[in-house]
Parts: sequence; structure tokens; C-alpha cells
Amino acid sequence: MRAAAGVLAGGLAMTAVSAGQPRGASVRGRVELPHVPVMVERRPASGELGEGPPRDAAEWRRAVVYFETAPKGAFEAEDVHAQMDQRNETFVPHLLAVTVGTTVDFPNDDRTYHNVFSLSKTKRFDLGRYAAGRSKSVRFDRPGVVRVFCEIHSHMNAFILVFTHRFFGVTDPDGRYQIDSVPPGTYTLVSWVEGAVRDSKSITVAPDSRVVEADFPLR
Amino acid sequence: MSTRSRLALPIVIVLGLCARLEAQGWPEQTATLFDGRVTLGGEATATVAPEDKGHFTYTDYERSSLQLVRLGVAAAIRPIDRLTFVVDLRAEGDTSGGDWSAIPVALYVRVRPWRDRRFDIQAGRIPPVFGVAGRHIYASDNVLIGTPLAWQYLTVLRADAVPANADELIYARSYGWQPGYSVGDDGYARGVPLATAFRYDTGVEARIGDDVSLVSVAVALTNGTLSAPGLRSSNGGPQVSTRVALHPSPAWVIGASYADGRFVADTVRDGLPASQSGGRYPQRTIGGDAEYSLGHVLIRAELVAARWTLPVLGPPPIDNPLWSTGVSVEGRYKIAPGVTAALRGDHLGFNSQTGTYLTLPWDAPVSRVEGGVSWAATRHVILRGSIQYNSRNRGPIRSATLPAAQVTLWF
Repeated sequence: MRAAAGVLAGGLAMTAVSAGQPRGASVRGRVELPHVPVMVERRPASGELGEGPPRDAAEWRRAVVYFETAPKGAFEAEDVHAQMDQRNETFVPHLLAVTVGTTVDFPNDDRTYHNVFSLSKTKRFDLGRYAAGRSKSVRFDRPGVVRVFCEIHSHMNAFILVFTHRFFGVTDPDGRYQIDSVPPGTYTLVSWVEGAVRDSKSITVAPDSRVVEADFPLR
Repeated sequence: MSTRSRLALPIVIVLGLCARLEAQGWPEQTATLFDGRVTLGGEATATVAPEDKGHFTYTDYERSSLQLVRLGVAAAIRPIDRLTFVVDLRAEGDTSGGDWSAIPVALYVRVRPWRDRRFDIQAGRIPPVFGVAGRHIYASDNVLIGTPLAWQYLTVLRADAVPANADELIYARSYGWQPGYSVGDDGYARGVPLATAFRYDTGVEARIGDDVSLVSVAVALTNGTLSAPGLRSSNGGPQVSTRVALHPSPAWVIGASYADGRFVADTVRDGLPASQSGGRYPQRTIGGDAEYSLGHVLIRAELVAARWTLPVLGPPPIDNPLWSTGVSVEGRYKIAPGVTAALRGDHLGFNSQTGTYLTLPWDAPVSRVEGGVSWAATRHVILRGSIQYNSRNRGPIRSATLPAAQVTLWF
């Protein structure tokens, strides 16, 4: 994960990018993943007097595809908001990718308390206990990987990936991703799944390219 | 093996495990097998503290709760929906060089008859439905290292031996670690706490509602009593225990508990005079608990009041029930991510009995204040430090200040 955090910080790209070029190609493809839900089983606790409240299956496992190095001029902090829900004792989405400067809201949509926290080096925070209908926020100022947990429900966990640039995409339930407005150049594209880099490949976006396909098959 | 080696070895093992697993990267999700049908959890804990010569912190496993070394593995096996087998195996030793023990703390089956109704039945070696502290058995559930007095402190009462008269009882005051009596087992052995947090009883339990219900009710029928749980019945009848919990809001949990079961062992009853051998001699216990939490603050209070009726022998007879009341109040505050401070005040009192010359509480009242800090070095490695001051108004050692340090690794 440390390696991944370093990669997310990125470096200035060596690729040729014309600064005034507003449009570019779309890089898209599919990351092949086993179609299994994110595991939400509770840690066995012998002191329980019965089952916990019923929960729905969590969302499907997803991946992030990102540029290891981004085009020049892509490094700009954005003051935007993203959201990670707490629902059915699950973080939704399980995987969130944002740019540096993003504030993530953590609304509690359950009937019970949650206590969102992270001990990651990228961002250490603890939002304390708060009830349904309330939300607390955290601003992410450094790139890297942030592991998010609930102190009360040990099975609740999620990832937030913080990038210095906007050239990344989270896969949909079918494993498809798309990264738009990519300037011409040669890039290293990385697929990242559940805490680790799974694969990487080099792609070239030609000046006249509209779409560049890059798939990551299951190995 | 020297005492120092005995002390060092388990700590080295736990720290070694911590380092190795940290280096490999921890699985952040619950460990599962067979497509989630089996879930696993575990904990390794090592605690060091100076010797507790006053036996303030000794448990009914005959070791100090401040010197525990514990290795535990829990598994929930769900072969089909609505049926779960829960097993919790624990090996326990101490850093002062005592013997090791290994037991299944919990071993039970859980059935949810209706998928959409919050009604569960558990049978086997089950957690206590009474109160709350008895279900927080693992270090990962607690900030402080010590256990509330009502759930740990050994009184002078025993189920397998009873005092022949009030003088014998009063004479034993403050010697809960090893009281000896002339009726029943005539050796010296440990006394019992009001309720034990270290062993589960055997029986069947049903619960309606859960933590998000406005009201939840749990009822259990078990072999032993809160103070002396057992694998099989040795006291002539089951214990009934119940707890009603209110959750008026996520911030509050308010509970009331009651338990009633025969306390005196069959072996003692069989040796009593005919006029006394038919007695029930129960332990009746009432409890109240409340928890409030918001933001980075958690406050928890629990009361446990136990009443034992013993055979009336004498003279002078023990003709009043023996009462003991334990009250604890604990506050926690999260100072920073991963760092929590806690403070607990605790008192255990006893009602008076009249001997030939004196009227005194039947055991020496004891108080404890414990403060400590826990630090989650990583999510799965927790370091704790605490200091507790114990005081008792009787006995060869009437006070003890006990610092302790603990490392816990859990998954």
C-alpha cells in the first residue's frame, strides 16, 4: 500500500502536452474482477446475545485505474465535495477516488451510531460517534491511500484514494472505467484493487485519438 | 525457567507476531472461509504489572487480571442461513509464572427461526445475559486493563463450602483469595465474585430485539449462577436470568437485569442437618446499567447487587441474607485518532452480620480508581497503560497502587 501511496502522489509527467489543449481523448476499458460482493461479515464476537440487524449485500468489488504520472498542468487542488455513506453497516461506496483538496462528507444513514476513523499516514482522523441524519466531513490535503473504518462495527471498512491529478476512474459493477480529456502523450496506466496495485501498462494517446482502449484482464 | 524469562517470553511472542503481521499487511476485512460461511477473529494479549500481594485483581482463574497473557480465537460457522455455531477458544497464562489453561470460553449454537424477526435462540456455553461487563471479555473491547470489581473481585463466599456460623464468616473477611470453611469442602480455595467476567455458563438463551430496537429482552436458563457458572449443574437447579435494554436513542442504552439461581453446591447441601438440607440457598442478583456516548465521549455506569441466602447453622447463625453491591462508573474520551483516555471509579460494599462479639460487614469493603490510556499504534495493535489504586478497610494489605502495561494484537 505504501508503494501505491507514492504512486498516487505522482510526479510531473515527461509527456508532451500542449498547455492550451482543452480537449483530449478518452481512455477506457475494463478491469476484469471476480464478480463477488465486498465482504461485510462481522468479526465473530462470542459475547453477542444474537444476530445483528439484517444487512443487504454490499456493492460489488471495484477497482481504480489511474495514470502513474499525469500530464503537466494537471496538478491542481480542487475544492469539491464527495460523499461516503454509512448504510446497513457498510461504507457506500466501498472505494472512493478523489483529488487533493476534496472534502468528503460521511453521512450516517443507519439507525445506530457509527464512528468513522482512519489511522492512515495520509490522513489520521476520528469523527467520533454521531447518529442517523447527521454528517461530518474531512478534507484530504495529501495524496495517498486512506483506510477508513468504523470503531463500533469492526467489519466496516473502505478505501479513499487521494490523487494529485484528475486522471483516474473507478470501475462500475461490470468493471468498466473511463478517463476523459486525456491530452496526447505516453502514460503508464495502473489498475489498483483492494489495497494493492494489480497491474500496469503503457498507453499512447495520439494527437488525433478520440478513444484509447486499455483492458486489464484477470491474471 | 526464571520469572524474568517467563515474563519476557509471551511478550516477545506477541510483539513478534505484531511485527510480522504488520510487515505482511493486515487483512482489513473480517477473515472468512468458504464463501463467508466461516468467519474468524482472534486476539493475543500480554499484560505486565508488579505482583499484587493483596490479591485485589485476582480472578476466579486464580491469576491477576493485570498479569494476563491471553491467546484467543473465535469462529462463527454458518452452515445454513439462520443457523450459526459460535466457538471461542482461549488459552490463558500469566506473566508472573503461573500455569496455563485452555478452555472454550464460548461454544454454542445460534438459531434465528424467522429470517425477518429479531428473535434468536442460543444454546450451549453462552454469554451472560445479565448486565454488560461480562460480555466485554476481550482486551480489544476495553480501554482500561482492569475489570470492574463486581465482575472480578473475589469475595469470601464459596459455593462448595459455607461457614458454620457468623464468626467463621467474619473471620474470613478480606481473604477472598483463599477462604476456608468447616461445612462442605474443608480445604482453602478461592471465593467467588458477584458475577464473573471470565467464564460463561451453560444453558439456553433467547433474545427478542437487538441493538437498534427500542426495547430488547434476553432471558436465559443456565446450570450455574452468575458468580459460579458451570458446565453441568452442581447446585440442584437452574438459574433464570434476564435483561431488558432500552435504546431510546443511539446515544443511550439503559438496562435492567435480574438473576436467580441456587448457589450452594449439592455436595454442601448433602452434608447439612436434615432441617437445612432442603433449602434452596439462592443467589439473587439485580443489576442496572446505563451508557451514554456522543462524539468522542463515552460514559458507562453499572450496578450489581447480589444477595445470597446461606444455611442457618450457628451459633451465632447467619440468619440474614448476605448482600453485596458493586457500583462502577467509567468515562472515556478520545484525545486524538487512536488515542483514548479512560477513568473508572469502583466500589464494592457488603451488609453487616452479627458475630459473637462484633457486627461487621461480612467482607471488607473495597474501592478502586483506575485511569489509563490506550494507543492504537495501528488498527490491529493496541498498547495500553494504566494505573489503579485499590483500598480495603481490612486485611494484611489494605491498599495497593498497581501500574500495568498491555499490548494487544487482534484481527
